[in-house]
Amino acid sequence: MEENVERAVREHSHNDLRIGVYVCHCGKNIGGTVRCHEVAQYAQELPGVILAKDSLYTCSEPGQEQIKADIREHGLNRVVVASCTPRLHEPTFRAACEAAGLNPYLLEMANIREHCSWVHLHDKDGATEKAKELVEMAVSRAAKLTPQVELSVPVTRKAMVIGGGVAGIQAALDMADAGYKVFLVEKTGSVGGRMAQIDKTFPTMDCSICILAPKMSEVGRHPNIELFTLSEVKEVSGHIGNFKVKILKKARYVTKECTGCGDCIHVCPQLSPDEFNAGLSIRHAIYIPFAQAVPSTLLIDMDQCLNNQGIVACDRCFQACSHKCIDFADKDQILELDVGTIVVATGVDVYDPTALTELGYGKFPNVITTLEFERLINAGGPSGGELIRPSDRERPRKVAFLQCIGSRSKRSNPYCSNVCCMNTIKDSLLIKEHWPDTEIFVFYIDIRAFGKGFEDLFQRARREGVTFVRGIPGEIIEDIDTGDLTLLGENTLMGSLYRYRMDMVILSVGIRPRHDAELIQRLFNLSTDTDGFFMEAHPKLRPVDTTTGGVFLAGTAEGPKDIKDSVTQASAAASRANILMSRGEVKVPAITSRIDIEKCTACGLCARVCPYHAIEGGKEKGYYQVIEAACQGCGACVPECRFGAIEQTHFTEEQIVAQIDAALAHEPGQKILAFACNWCSYAGADFAGVSRIQYPHNVRIIRTMCSARVSPQWIERAFIKGAGAVLVSGCHPSDCHYNNANQNTAKRVERYWRRMEKLGINKERLRLAWVSAAEGAQFARVIHEMEAGLRKQTHKQITEASEKLVAAAAKKSDVS
Amino acid sequence: MTTMKIWKYFPREQLYECYQCARCTGSCPAMEVAPSYGPRETILRTLNLGHEKVVEDERIWLCCTCNVCEDRCPQKIPISALLVALRNSAARRGNIPSRLSMAIELLAKTGRSMIVHQLDEMRAHHGLGPLPPAPVDEIRAILMKTGLSDVVEF
Repeated sequence: MEENVERAVREHSHNDLRIGVYVCHCGKNIGGTVRCHEVAQYAQELPGVILAKDSLYTCSEPGQEQIKADIREHGLNRVVVASCTPRLHEPTFRAACEAAGLNPYLLEMANIREHCSWVHLHDKDGATEKAKELVEMAVSRAAKLTPQVELSVPVTRKAMVIGGGVAGIQAALDMADAGYKVFLVEKTGSVGGRMAQIDKTFPTMDCSICILAPKMSEVGRHPNIELFTLSEVKEVSGHIGNFKVKILKKARYVTKECTGCGDCIHVCPQLSPDEFNAGLSIRHAIYIPFAQAVPSTLLIDMDQCLNNQGIVACDRCFQACSHKCIDFADKDQILELDVGTIVVATGVDVYDPTALTELGYGKFPNVITTLEFERLINAGGPSGGELIRPSDRERPRKVAFLQCIGSRSKRSNPYCSNVCCMNTIKDSLLIKEHWPDTEIFVFYIDIRAFGKGFEDLFQRARREGVTFVRGIPGEIIEDIDTGDLTLLGENTLMGSLYRYRMDMVILSVGIRPRHDAELIQRLFNLSTDTDGFFMEAHPKLRPVDTTTGGVFLAGTAEGPKDIKDSVTQASAAASRANILMSRGEVKVPAITSRIDIEKCTACGLCARVCPYHAIEGGKEKGYYQVIEAACQGCGACVPECRFGAIEQTHFTEEQIVAQIDAALAHEPGQKILAFACNWCSYAGADFAGVSRIQYPHNVRIIRTMCSARVSPQWIERAFIKGAGAVLVSGCHPSDCHYNNANQNTAKRVERYWRRMEKLGINKERLRLAWVSAAEGAQFARVIHEMEAGLRKQTHKQITEASEKLVAAAAKKSDVS
Repeated sequence: MTTMKIWKYFPREQLYECYQCARCTGSCPAMEVAPSYGPRETILRTLNLGHEKVVEDERIWLCCTCNVCEDRCPQKIPISALLVALRNSAARRGNIPSRLSMAIELLAKTGRSMIVHQLDEMRAHHGLGPLPPAPVDEIRAILMKTGLSDVVEF
């Protein structure tokens, strides 16, 4: 550590800049649009640059070796890599610098792929000019970089898993087996989740509960797992390695001594639909969720119990219990737990097809969903495993499955739900297995049998005589006398109309994000994709990480997937969490704020905007100070200080101003200067690149960690320099990565708009936009709109505005 | 006769949204009586053969623009708008069924789309007076204003 500091100081004392610039072709990804050699030549002439090279793949081993060799040979003290987004390869190049003895914080990247070549595919000249300027901006910032040493914080060797479905169970077991304490939080009365409701699994036709139950009981008795059922997360604070989670543990009204004998159940006078059987049967107010439930103790549904007013109106269960396990005085509890890592495995909801009125679900009794079917055909279900149709409890002879209900549609969920095709094939085989004379028709658009063993199962269903008809019925008509259903539609392969009379129709419903997913998203600062599922930190390379350090994803909460994929992902998430816990410490990026106590007047404004209460001090003390371990590096406090006493490490005023000046060095009036936060808007712009959404090339993006770091002085400087337009963009309100720090962004931009209005400057030149990491198209739209606004500006207007701002600033300094 | 850009009236990219699930066909009342027509097929043919080919086909005139297909379409494709655009284009190229152009001509000349003198006998039988004269001039003005006179001579 000390050695590091010494080396850092040594590097800092290098007065002469020796910058090396590396322009990456990324094969054709950049090289196909940007003339990289020309960019390198341009960079060569920039102040402080002693060498500039272009290479085919800078991130490759030879590419990295080149950088290392140059650092040693030419004594480089700054490295600029112009390639892809720093969100992808910054760690790679930092490691390369460090290996060659250069402090990793002396690396700067210019994003000429996602923010340039991919979004200006058809404008080689424009893209090349932009790439040159992006490199120029990076070189200007690099010149101002200083070495930093990262702080290590300890990681609490305890984990929390949220959601007790198969993914949550697997993740909890993997971490517990590795020797770490795990808190498993489940909202319902038992672990098991959706898998417990399903009869058989595809493609092996294993009995679902038979393979799940052993894992469930293992969770129940594992010495390292503490299980909280009927519990919900209410509050989360802290950060990677050190989270404090408040959970609400709801009263069960039955003590742990309960043996699950069930003597109390039948004396209970209150009835309610049984959620586990998808509402196809009834349960009592005191009940056990299902036979294999873990914990196996009963519980009272207080919404249904006669004692829900706080007085004991009925004590039949209490009287029936020989062990005296009923406790009407049981209370909800709030528990506070310290954990180092968190796995979110909250699962999905099932699509409700009531809205598709032409199919008659909810109106025609013999139209049911696949989840209801699972319970019907399950031996533990309401019919004891007998396939009967709801209207007359007769066995159906002709059964239809309708695919893609609630999936692949703009009317419901636009995505493919991933599991319904195989689920239907499995269900059709189950019927054939028990009642081979049943005629089965599957109405489909595409059968997606993409996994291991899936195609085999599909072919088996066809051999068993299941008829697959391509074309979803447009309408279902019910015969009110018999309850039979007529399906009207077109067989698209035959090109002919059909009219099938069926005894029963099963809607193969899709899956969708949980109705309360938004709550979890806010609590953990997660991002969601456009479909509403939680977003991974990188879709390919960090598929179980989230953008919040120390929080991982498992199962369907991340996207529709089957049991095998959920289990795989759960083990992956557990393994990622285990790495953190086994290391026992984590390095936090050196991007915290620091207060110069000489300049500090102890006004306390900074402490008020800090979303983490990481700034302490007071009038008595005479100054305020940042608690480094608690500071998350949003930088919201910096612009709040009127005395310039706060500086954010690695995002200093000097560094950003150098970037602004470089961005506006040539034709500023034509430029849109964009400030984008690292987590949402910068990532959103990256996503526009990945999606190849094209937009005008005159935008220059400057990255800050949070939009709240954007200082009004930067906006002012940009307009004085003659910038055509300025964009400030961040996460959507309440999605802020830094605990709503971005409410300060909105306030500051509004204040600046008022200033523009007062000075008679067109306030449309400053735009505030909320762009999430999934909204690449939205980012491009904003730029298109700003570009249109820019074209209406005259050179004269821009110069006049600049003069007005200079005059106003001069007047202000005269007064003071 | 002028040609028209059909993509002005039906957004072309909507065609690519169709994955041929055939819910539209399954709910189409026109197909019940004229099985050779089909909304799904019309979209597919427009996509694969091009609209120039499709407008030569008389089947596009079988749609009754009841909009049920649109209501059922999972991709919210404005199928009726496509049919109307195709027909407009077809009519401008002279591909309009003669029974339809005759009806328009009749409408423009008599103010009614069918010959009604037999109707008067029926009305008299039920004790009703003869039909009042149709406002021919007004109807003609509407037909001119909507541009129908560009398509059918009357």
